[in-house]
Amino acid sequence: MDTQWPRWEVFKKDTAKKPYQAVGSVHAADADHALLNARNVFVRRPQAVSLWVAPAAVIFSRTAEQLEQGNPLPDVDQSVQQTYQIFRKATHRRSMTFMDHIGQVEAPSPAHALQAAIAQFPDPPALAWWIIPADQIISSGEDREMAAAWFDPAKTKTYKHQSAYGFVSARPQGRRRSGAKDE
Amino acid sequence: MNEAVTGALTSRLTALADDELILAQRNSEWTGHAPILEEDIALANIAQDELGHATVWLGLLEPFSGRSPDEMAFFRDAEDFLNVQMVELPKGDWAFTMLRQYLFDAYEHILIEALLASTYQPLADAAAKFRGEEMYHLRHTHLWVERLGLGTDESNRRMQDALDILWPAAGQLFVPLPDDHLLVHEGIFPDLAILQDQWVAIVRPHLTAAGLTFPAEIANTAARGFHTEHMATLLADMQLVARWEPDGEW
Repeated sequence: MDTQWPRWEVFKKDTAKKPYQAVGSVHAADADHALLNARNVFVRRPQAVSLWVAPAAVIFSRTAEQLEQGNPLPDVDQSVQQTYQIFRKATHRRSMTFMDHIGQVEAPSPAHALQAAIAQFPDPPALAWWIIPADQIISSGEDREMAAAWFDPAKTKTYKHQSAYGFVSARPQGRRRSGAKDE
Repeated sequence: MNEAVTGALTSRLTALADDELILAQRNSEWTGHAPILEEDIALANIAQDELGHATVWLGLLEPFSGRSPDEMAFFRDAEDFLNVQMVELPKGDWAFTMLRQYLFDAYEHILIEALLASTYQPLADAAAKFRGEEMYHLRHTHLWVERLGLGTDESNRRMQDALDILWPAAGQLFVPLPDDHLLVHEGIFPDLAILQDQWVAIVRPHLTAAGLTFPAEIANTAARGFHTEHMATLLADMQLVARWEPDGEW
């Protein structure tokens, strides 16, 4: 039996100008709990201005390879539209984030939303897509005071930065960069 | 500030620091042992925050005491610590730890709001710095109290067991130190009787809504400085390395 709590994907917005980016997942019993866990796990170090979480189970995901097999559209009532948030992975370069939020579309199903997204956001070519119903995404909110409580403390805690752990990457004695003063 | 007020402030800063230091030590015992990875990280983070607060209070204390934060933390014996007993109790189960943290977070939340208006500027500055963190801590434990209280029969029972011990114990948070009235008079530190009313107004409705009942036992009104038998073993653990190598360089 799987005794884990459900999995939630976490999206972090680093600055006002940057998109929400998928940073990883947390297990949590419910949405509020997921947001708190997301804050603990992903915002211990700067920086962030907002968080989204969404249940992993509601994410419609397709890779470029899967899409080569087509994107079959379900037969649904076209008049019932809902908003979907669109996330795209476009590069293998970054290690810490892997999906960027690029916009939203109105569509009658996730597959329809994907079809619309492919047409609307052709560049750069996607390696993978995530389509999430907008009403399934829970946000840490716009309240300035709460945002400060959640995100500002990390900014002053420079001791939590990776760079503060100098001994982790310290060069061993005797293997200094050539041209160093003591050589 | 005259000598009597300075003395009162020295004791109060020691109490503020010791509550946070000892609670941080207890919470840190969960590192690697919390029920899930996410909570392990969360509680380690909270413990680190409380330890940070203790360091700030001990820093403010240094000009009066002449002792560095490390000296205060590692080279005092139990009878010199002014923390309340509730923070030194063993960590117990997850319900006990979450409820203790909740009761303390609610206390610290209202204390910090009051300290923002302190006439002693360093206290007001420290409060402003801690305020955001404490709002977040309180939200975290507020949520856990609700989830465990209303969760299963077992989680409710464990929470109730914890409340039966912690509700009377928390009364000690509001017992003034002998010279606190001097600080209250100067507007340096708030009147704890007023804080207690505010605290009860926050925690009582939430605990009731979480399906818990309040024990009849009267509050612990022991003066700070008296400790349970758990304090000595906690300090032995916390101070061991520093006392082995008192001149060690880190």
